[in-house]
Amino acid sequence: MDRRDFIKTTAAAGATATLAGCGNPENQLIRFIPEEPLFPGIATWKPGICSLCSAGCGLLVRVMDGEAEVIRNGQAGILKMGLAKKLEGNPDHPISHGKLCARGQAGIQVTYHPDRIRQPLRRTGPRGSGQFQEISWDEAMSEALSRLNGIASADRKTLGVLTRPLSGQRGVLVSEFLEKFGAPPATVFEIFGDEVLREANRRSFGYAQLPTFDLARSRYVLSFGADFLGTWNSPVAHSVAYGEMRQGRPGLRAKFVQAEPRMSQTGANADEWVPVKPGTEGVLALSLAHVILKAKLRTSSAAGRAGELIDGWTTGLQSYAPEAVATRTGLASARIERLALEFAEHGPALAIIGGAPLAHTNGLFQALAVNALNALVGNVGKAGGLLFTPRPDIAAARLAGRNLRDLAAEILSSSRAPVQVLLLNDANPVFGSPPAWRVAEALGKIPYIISFGSFLDETSALADLILPDHSFLESWVDDVPESGTSMSVASIAPPVMRPLHQTRSMPDVLIEIGQQLQPPLSLPWKNYEEMVKAAVDVLPEEPGSWERIQVQGGWWGGAPMPQPNWVQTARRETPATEAQFDGRSEDYPFHFFPYASQAFLDGSLAHLPWLQELPDAVATAMWSSWAEINPRTAQNLGIVQGDTIEIKSLHGTLQVPALLSPGIAPDVVAMPVGQGHQNYTRYASGRGANPLSILSGVTEPETGALAWAATRVRIGKLEKSAQASPLILFSGGMQEHEETHR
Amino acid sequence: MRRSFVGTHKWKLGLLAAAALSVILWSGGWDALTGQSSKADRSKDIFSPAHSSVAQAVSHFFGYQPEAKQPIAFPHNLHIGEVELDCVDCHISVERGPVASIPDIRTCWNCHATPLTNSSEIDKLKTYYDKGQDIPWQRVYGWLEESHVRFNHAPHIREGVDCSTCHGDVRQMTVATRAVDHTMEFCVTCHREKKAPDDCLTCHY
Repeated sequence: MDRRDFIKTTAAAGATATLAGCGNPENQLIRFIPEEPLFPGIATWKPGICSLCSAGCGLLVRVMDGEAEVIRNGQAGILKMGLAKKLEGNPDHPISHGKLCARGQAGIQVTYHPDRIRQPLRRTGPRGSGQFQEISWDEAMSEALSRLNGIASADRKTLGVLTRPLSGQRGVLVSEFLEKFGAPPATVFEIFGDEVLREANRRSFGYAQLPTFDLARSRYVLSFGADFLGTWNSPVAHSVAYGEMRQGRPGLRAKFVQAEPRMSQTGANADEWVPVKPGTEGVLALSLAHVILKAKLRTSSAAGRAGELIDGWTTGLQSYAPEAVATRTGLASARIERLALEFAEHGPALAIIGGAPLAHTNGLFQALAVNALNALVGNVGKAGGLLFTPRPDIAAARLAGRNLRDLAAEILSSSRAPVQVLLLNDANPVFGSPPAWRVAEALGKIPYIISFGSFLDETSALADLILPDHSFLESWVDDVPESGTSMSVASIAPPVMRPLHQTRSMPDVLIEIGQQLQPPLSLPWKNYEEMVKAAVDVLPEEPGSWERIQVQGGWWGGAPMPQPNWVQTARRETPATEAQFDGRSEDYPFHFFPYASQAFLDGSLAHLPWLQELPDAVATAMWSSWAEINPRTAQNLGIVQGDTIEIKSLHGTLQVPALLSPGIAPDVVAMPVGQGHQNYTRYASGRGANPLSILSGVTEPETGALAWAATRVRIGKLEKSAQASPLILFSGGMQEHEETHR
Repeated sequence: MRRSFVGTHKWKLGLLAAAALSVILWSGGWDALTGQSSKADRSKDIFSPAHSSVAQAVSHFFGYQPEAKQPIAFPHNLHIGEVELDCVDCHISVERGPVASIPDIRTCWNCHATPLTNSSEIDKLKTYYDKGQDIPWQRVYGWLEESHVRFNHAPHIREGVDCSTCHGDVRQMTVATRAVDHTMEFCVTCHREKKAPDDCLTCHY
């Protein structure tokens, strides 16, 4: 552009600005009559529940009048309404204690997302093309009903539900709906699920649930790979307790040791970081137990049932002597001994296992080993130890249908799909499951898919009909937390705002379908609000409680830890102690370590721009994908930071920029999960690479859970011409810079 | 080909002229140049560069703001004088919050659901209501975004400042018009008289 053009352009811009200044653009759209009483300029705070992860933090939502561009009766216009403006933690809530994580803060963007599905859609193009046509709710409901009525009564087991984990009344409703319909239980899909730990806790302690850690009263914490401050279990509750543990007791600052091959955000907070080899965390735990037993600091019987589950426990775990496991774990025997003595001598001490150590083929063994270590120091149910949250009697038993891998295999192997109609609720297995499971192909064989999704993603793009759900600020939400507190909690929150778009809440749609089916299902509730109220009625009586519950955001009260529930099962074989990896170590020398991204968790939050621009707390990278490799490994391979490298497993290849990190073992390559979406709103599509797409499909054999840490890879530098998306760092990454202070 | 001085430096001369003009404007010299003073009185001692365009800055400097054209000729005089409504009956949040609030059509409908008088203006009201639309009232008062003025009605009402102090005698008006010019001078004078804080941050934040 030369100067003359520049002047012309600025003159034109000036003229436009003048015009805009004269007109009154805000008056060009019609204004609808407000639907609720409003006091402009005055904020109210209403309770809510965060639904972005399963922790179930209680929210306080700032609601103020505002103007929303909406469509009513096919006409666009402006509506004055109470709008949610800010999310904070609810100070009274036993999980969030008034705090909220960065993901929760960004949760407000779910409601106002520009790519939200605003009204029912019917597929017009081929599956996966993303071509849909907007239709009315009447049309959509009659289409859904005719499909469901079209299932012959003898064939009713061919209705399937594929959902993210649902707690509280949504879970109860889905179970009831399927049972009354005559269909099998729902298939639950979650990439970073905790089935292995639940199973281990059931066997060791009699609780099939996630544990809560009483960090605030603990004096020594040893964590095996658990990112309990960042992405795992109930991170807000545990971060609050962690703050108490480190700074809340004058004169007593507990020690925190983190054993993991890649330093997580939680690991970065530790006093000591122990780079144990992947898949040997359980061996390390038993070696610690061996030292404690050998030094006669505890007796083997102290561990009770949890100890009996371990081979060789009663004889002092002779094969786990520190010298014997030093090579396997990659740790010096003296260090193991020191850690063991510290652990036994600084009670109450707490061992935590979570994340990658559970995602090996020997995950169950590793969890049982750490459980035994906890039981040995006698911290279960004790102050400063491991607690199990008492749950009021209104929660759904975990929906336990076929797992996704088996379901997909069944569909692919039969000529007529065993699922004729699939209801899809907020699960994205096409993005999140390993290619070997062939989930997309299996879903393609299902004749009709109805999705309740609020956004088009890789899986809901395969749907034939989309009945968009409200956001969690627009609908009744309830939750019965599995962990994070020692209190008995039922979180309940009415909608904080009216729906922006032509959406309907999933449970209400399900109830309505149930009422209109031929013959109708005998669901005892008229709508979801009534269902939640009916569930609350069975909670211990309090005067005026329903109103109070709505104002404070739930019901909670002190309760003793529940009694262990020892379910008798046929004696199973002791789980394998040795981790198996996919890919021979000669061909694929590196362990591939995908981890839940702090911003996106399993990728379900990659559509929120605030989270895209959130720098990773350790790597400082944002808006992109990266692979973390050890600087020494990088030097050997001639890789410098920002180089595009190729990561190759038996199942696929990725191209990502390299990020050199001192906090990773030399034989490990780590990648955050969450980017690499092909089709997930304007902010996430076509950005970065998806590490899950090169994972092997191996599972932990007894629970069937995906062993997402069991893939081996090889890496190599690519030529300069092959550019993956660039590495975007907020600061200089993890390299140390020398600074001169004058 | 060699070009003339003016041809070569046209853009520099243009900038120079613009700079000279802005200096004149800044110093209030425009009044002297044009002899215009009646309108320029409105905000003569402020020329803020905080405007979204030069045109806006210039029109603000001359105190020019388009008069609001209301969709319905709402008679304030009738409602206050004859019906004896209070301001607060319709501007409901003036005692409670920062904004007085312009009532939406449901407020009108409380009384006008049944026709009270024959009037073309009430017919308009009914037309809006039947279409499910709110009345697109236009703003009468207000500051530019760029001036960063924040005003809170409630404390002024609590202190007993009469509505008419800032809004004129609305009892005499049909549709509200800008009877009082909300210049900074106007605000600060009153604040000083009443010993209210006159720190910048009282209003600009």
